[in-house]
Amino acid sequence: MTKNNSTRWAANLFCMALLALFTAPLALAQDASFRAHLSKMPTTPQTKNAISGGGEVIATLEGHTLTISGHFEGMSSVATMAHVHMGPPAQPGPVVSAITAPDSTGGELSGQIELNDEQLAALKVNSLYVQIHSADNAAGELRGWFFAR
Amino acid sequence: MNIRTTSLAIAIASALIGCTPDNSEQAMNGASDSSVAANAFAEQAAVGAEKFAANCAACHGINLEGSTLGPLLSGRPFMQRWGQRNPSLLFNNIKANMPPGGNEGLSDDDYLAIAAHILSVNGVDTVTTALDPSTDFTIADNASAIASLRNRNEPPAPEGVTVAGNVDDFVPFTPVTDAMLESPDPADWPMIRRSYDAHSYSPLDQIDTSNVANLRLEWVWNMHEGDSEPSPLVYKGIIYLINPGNVIQAIDGKTGELIWENWAGPANRQDMRNIAIYNDKIIQATTDARLVALDARTGKQVWETMVADNSQGFENSSGPIVADGKVILGLAGCARYIKDDCYISAHDANTGELVWRFNTIAKANEPGGDTWGELDDIFRAGGETWITGSYDPELKLTYWGTAQQKPWVPVSRHLTIQDEGLFTNSTVAVNTDDGTLNWHFQHVPAEALDLDEVFERVLVNRGDEKLVFSLGKYGILWKSDRVSGEFKGYKETVFQNAFTDIDPVTGRVTYREDIQNAKLNEWTSACPSSAGGKDWHSMTYHEPSGLMIAPLSQTCLENAAREVALVQGGGGLAASRKFFEMPGTDGNLGKIGAYNVDTMEEVWSYQQRASFHTGTMSTAGDLVFVGDLDRRFKALDVNTGEVVWETRLGTSVQGHPVSFAIDGKQYIAVTSAVGGTSPRTVPDVIATEITYPRWGNALYVFSLPED
Ligand code: HEC
Repeated sequence: MTKNNSTRWAANLFCMALLALFTAPLALAQDASFRAHLSKMPTTPQTKNAISGGGEVIATLEGHTLTISGHFEGMSSVATMAHVHMGPPAQPGPVVSAITAPDSTGGELSGQIELNDEQLAALKVNSLYVQIHSADNAAGELRGWFFAR
Repeated sequence: MNIRTTSLAIAIASALIGCTPDNSEQAMNGASDSSVAANAFAEQAAVGAEKFAANCAACHGINLEGSTLGPLLSGRPFMQRWGQRNPSLLFNNIKANMPPGGNEGLSDDDYLAIAAHILSVNGVDTVTTALDPSTDFTIADNASAIASLRNRNEPPAPEGVTVAGNVDDFVPFTPVTDAMLESPDPADWPMIRRSYDAHSYSPLDQIDTSNVANLRLEWVWNMHEGDSEPSPLVYKGIIYLINPGNVIQAIDGKTGELIWENWAGPANRQDMRNIAIYNDKIIQATTDARLVALDARTGKQVWETMVADNSQGFENSSGPIVADGKVILGLAGCARYIKDDCYISAHDANTGELVWRFNTIAKANEPGGDTWGELDDIFRAGGETWITGSYDPELKLTYWGTAQQKPWVPVSRHLTIQDEGLFTNSTVAVNTDDGTLNWHFQHVPAEALDLDEVFERVLVNRGDEKLVFSLGKYGILWKSDRVSGEFKGYKETVFQNAFTDIDPVTGRVTYREDIQNAKLNEWTSACPSSAGGKDWHSMTYHEPSGLMIAPLSQTCLENAAREVALVQGGGGLAASRKFFEMPGTDGNLGKIGAYNVDTMEEVWSYQQRASFHTGTMSTAGDLVFVGDLDRRFKALDVNTGEVVWETRLGTSVQGHPVSFAIDGKQYIAVTSAVGGTSPRTVPDVIATEITYPRWGNALYVFSLPED
């Protein structure tokens, strides 16, 4: 990983530790926040204008509860579904849970998921991601992996 | 291509399908005016015209005229490549390779129809039977002269010297000696990457971090149009510039005055990265695999020789270096199933005569020949040497990278992940005396994703250690002992998930299991993409700080192997591919990474949305120069990665920045350019918001104001 990310990660760990010390019992020391940059699903010169848009999703972890909020814009057609999936960066995997997306080419995303231990472990190694499906791209139009902020 | 151009192309495409214009008329020629098509070939071609418009025209143009996304498929260049082959090979080739994004919707009948359309547009008009997968006639023999004339719509291209002049009238010319190449004058940039060790480093320090902000444009020179990734040479104040289409110009570095121009042909707008200077000659490889020497003073041709047979598909995209008094160059276009494979060759600098060849593909009865399974020699392909190597004059070894096996995926090659395929995707150290192999190190055996390790070998001395570094498409910076070939270490410079393990002692890589076992037509998702963590844009070694500073790219791909029939003359690349943003990068496609060559740690990185399209060039002024897709040319502080200067040029900045001095004044030169293959086409489909003119090849020269 890049220096940018690792410094951010280190700084983040430090802040989390501080927060945990002052505001919460030690059991909550694993609380953390994650961010996914939504970008286009795999595309080609022929499909590059049929798969479009972008966005950002923030996920906050408290215990096993992952609270998700975010936004997206500029999709080629209206959103039909949005999910959190499990799979290492750049490797698609199964659905973990649905989240809420508006019936629109852009808007707010939200959701709350109870992660099991496997999913929690996956989150910590950047192996959960968000995917939004659209009317014209049933297989998915936007996607982004969660990384610690 | 921006959105407007695409929708225009689609509009034209639909218009053409609707109204039987010029093109379909040509396609229907064989059937004459009769509305009752008595000609099964013409009927097939008419169907093919629609299929072509829908599936191919976006890249190859509705009239097969080509675009920045795909080559032209008509006229002389096409006939040169395909005229002596048969329709069956064309069918197999496009079925295996086109369109690059995937071919789920296309049947064999569709491909046959498209092949008929392409042939018919190219003037094949004596055929009446529909094509089938085994149709075997020589394409050119079935295009009548009238038909081929009809396709020749371009005026004849110039040949030879088109602008006469003499360098002596500007600066007295002194022949370039071996000693000068071994230790170039700080004012010169006499070869690709400036020196034999490929540091892309200029010892000039007049322009430094404290005054670079004052840099201003001295002059600009528009170049010929076409695909371009040039590396200018500068010798005693004269710039020798390779233009697209095999055109070389000599330009006065001080004033930007053209001195001479020579067209070695073919005038095809294709790309050549570099040329060489030696003695009193400029030596160029041509895109059709010839080697040509010009008089450096006048541009007049001195000798010419054939490197390989272009009609067999061989070509060059990089030029030679002159090492140990020999002209040494590589070869590309080696994906076809034919008897001859790729090689590195050395020629006599005075005559062009062949001195030796090193074959990059081991035949069954040769050392390494048992690494290709049971595959017959004919079907062993790949191993291109499409980036110019480097040279150690003390060891008398020339260091080259080789490209991967072809087709791209083991299953398409009729091989497995165990079939390493020597000497592909390797560093080869070749004796300049006789072309024998001194040692090799195969970075990625049995390559499976179109990620080659072919790029420049950078030679570095640290204490007593003589090292060689390279950085391939997997984004892994490799370090080896260049005397013994022993593996010394590696560093992942961008995210990669193709390998689950890289042995820290041996450097042996292990592919992810699904990549190892990839089957035909199954999608595999991996990072980086074939645009490469690093590609042809060379990295720089800044000796004063011990940093290797590399231009990197952050995209990923989905890849699906296609079937390739083992037929003589066939072959190809054979995969469907889609591209996406690299996770964890926030959409920053461009990265400059600086690595300590002793510890292999990343010391700093600079990231941005736009991908970088030039090599990095560092200077003794502690600056590193680099240009990007978004037309920005930047100077970064070598020690921090901070941007200390930037300007914006006419179109994307692409090529290899150089620095030189005339009368004690330092200049920085860089080209803007289009083309450049996957490092451009991949970012183009991801960062669609970045737009730039589709023309504008030029050379820009900067300096500090005189006070
Ligand atoms: C996404 C852009 C794109 C699309 C769509 C596309 N091609 Fe290509 N095509 C290319 C590129 C790029 C090359 C050059 C490949 C190379 O040299 O590796 C090429 C090469 C070719 C060649 C070889 C040209 C030569 O001179 O040897 C043929 C033939 C061809 N394409 C036919 C087709 C056909 C037929 C279709 C539609 C079924 C198609 N292409 C769709 C980009 C495209």
